[in-house]
Amino acid sequence: MAGLVESGSVRLTACDCLTPFGNAAATHAALLRGERALRPTPVLGADGGDAVPLALLPGRALDETLPPAWLPALQALLAPLAGGGWGTARRPVCVTSSNFGIGSLYAFHRHGDAAQAAHGTPHTAVELLRRTLGWGENVAVFSHACVSAHLGLLHASRLVAAGAAESVLVLAYDFLSPFVTGGFHALKILNAELPAPYQDRATGSIGLGDGAGFAVLSPTGGDLVLSAQSLHNEMHHFTANRPDGAGFAAVLAPVVAAAAGRRLWLKGHGTGTLEAGRLESTALARAFPGAPLVSWKGSLGHTLGSCGLVELAVAAAALRTGRTPGTVGSGSPTFTDTVALAPFATPDFAGVVCASNAFGGAHGALLLSHA
Amino acid sequence: MLERFLQAVRTDDPGAEAPAATRDRLKACFAPGAVRRMTQLGLLVGGVLRDLAPGPDDTLVYATQFGESRALEGFLESFPTPSPTLFQTSIHPSGVQQGLIGRQQAVPELFPLAGGPQLVAQAVLAALLAPAPRVVLCGGEERGTWLVAPGAASDRAFAFALALTRHREAGTQGRLALEPTADPAGTLALADWFDLLHAHRGYTGHVAPGWRLQLEWS
Repeated sequence: MAGLVESGSVRLTACDCLTPFGNAAATHAALLRGERALRPTPVLGADGGDAVPLALLPGRALDETLPPAWLPALQALLAPLAGGGWGTARRPVCVTSSNFGIGSLYAFHRHGDAAQAAHGTPHTAVELLRRTLGWGENVAVFSHACVSAHLGLLHASRLVAAGAAESVLVLAYDFLSPFVTGGFHALKILNAELPAPYQDRATGSIGLGDGAGFAVLSPTGGDLVLSAQSLHNEMHHFTANRPDGAGFAAVLAPVVAAAAGRRLWLKGHGTGTLEAGRLESTALARAFPGAPLVSWKGSLGHTLGSCGLVELAVAAAALRTGRTPGTVGSGSPTFTDTVALAPFATPDFAGVVCASNAFGGAHGALLLSHA
Repeated sequence: MLERFLQAVRTDDPGAEAPAATRDRLKACFAPGAVRRMTQLGLLVGGVLRDLAPGPDDTLVYATQFGESRALEGFLESFPTPSPTLFQTSIHPSGVQQGLIGRQQAVPELFPLAGGPQLVAQAVLAALLAPAPRVVLCGGEERGTWLVAPGAASDRAFAFALALTRHREAGTQGRLALEPTADPAGTLALADWFDLLHAHRGYTGHVAPGWRLQLEWS
């Protein structure tokens, strides 16, 4: 059984993201043009190694700096929210990530600079961010690999729905480092090939990207609503899904019920791996027959724990402008005929289902619709 | 006020026990062969979850400040030829996933939290906000080695698990509640929370800005 649906009235009152293309509007525009941010980059940064597709923020090296390069990037992203009283009991913050400051811990081990270790754990990285941004101490920290952002959104929705908060800021970020790229390269899913999500080809591959996104959830306001959210954890294998696709079907079932037959489009996880791509696209086609499916990780790379919020911000931009970017970097044949390779117009769609997956067979899905 | 009732509590305080000794002590809790690659934290958390494991309608909340410290140390040491096994094992929330994957035990909702002085408050808040009839709140740490000195690993190992229900039942062992307050400060460290549970000691105090925690034993 999947996680419970949060129905009703949690509004998305602010949402934006940061990718190598810029904010959500710039990222949405670049994806509509079919641009790829991924570039061949040595997998171990300054230490070299195989060239793999990475999408780093402009001017940012893979090796972490001191202070960490992600700090000013997040300051810029969150500047519009400055002075909002965040981190208090009534305006708490949920920070979600898979890697937090792990690049600093890698740099500490590589070079022995103790100052790098000072923000190498989830808590110390968030504490550096909290102090820099002037937040209060009411900050929850969630970390569940690539569904991390979905947990923050669901927890924030529950705080709002219970009246325990008037607004909640959810932040998701992950910035690449040799720790992460080296790990995925060791798993043999990050290789020289560019990712082609949902394309039926001989070899699967992913790309990785820097990414951050935020959302402000409130009981009123805004033009978009999170009308359903769902989680499911297969606990079948660390790096593989159940071969029958049951995990994908389980997380989608409550969202199907909440959709109530409305016409939707689908933003899938779609990293570029073959088996997961096949299972996910098949499950989505069964759950939402005929609904067009896109993934943007062929351009942005997989932004790991932040992907749920980065892609939510782009999806929100697509809903507002009425134009959805296609599955950049992929071609025919695709696993299902519902995969949209080119941009399409969305004025007749009621909303979008956004899905993410993670290690351990973890799944998150949500329904974002016009208020 | 948000509240739930404690139906069962499990704790494990291994003291200075080495990971190999923990593996030997707890191997009967897991399927044969499953423990070979489990971390000390995975063993400890999997052990306390053995008979409290979440069912198909339950929510699981998992709290650890440092997570898989030894796998993290080992993965860092494996460069420039990084270990794929240590990479996947080092990723949060591997500690709780190891035992559940070994038992092939699907869970609808899993909320893994990290964090520092507010970790207990936030984990309890996640548990009390979950709509599921039964919530399992678990967590713990394993003792690191060279990452302890720079403050990036725990110097202590422990694990706990609580089964929480919405209503008082026969055999209820206690009550856990969060009450909104105007107090602007408060903390409760994960190790201190563990000590309360391990000793069945009650607690009333501010654990985060705006939240007062009550832990009562029947």
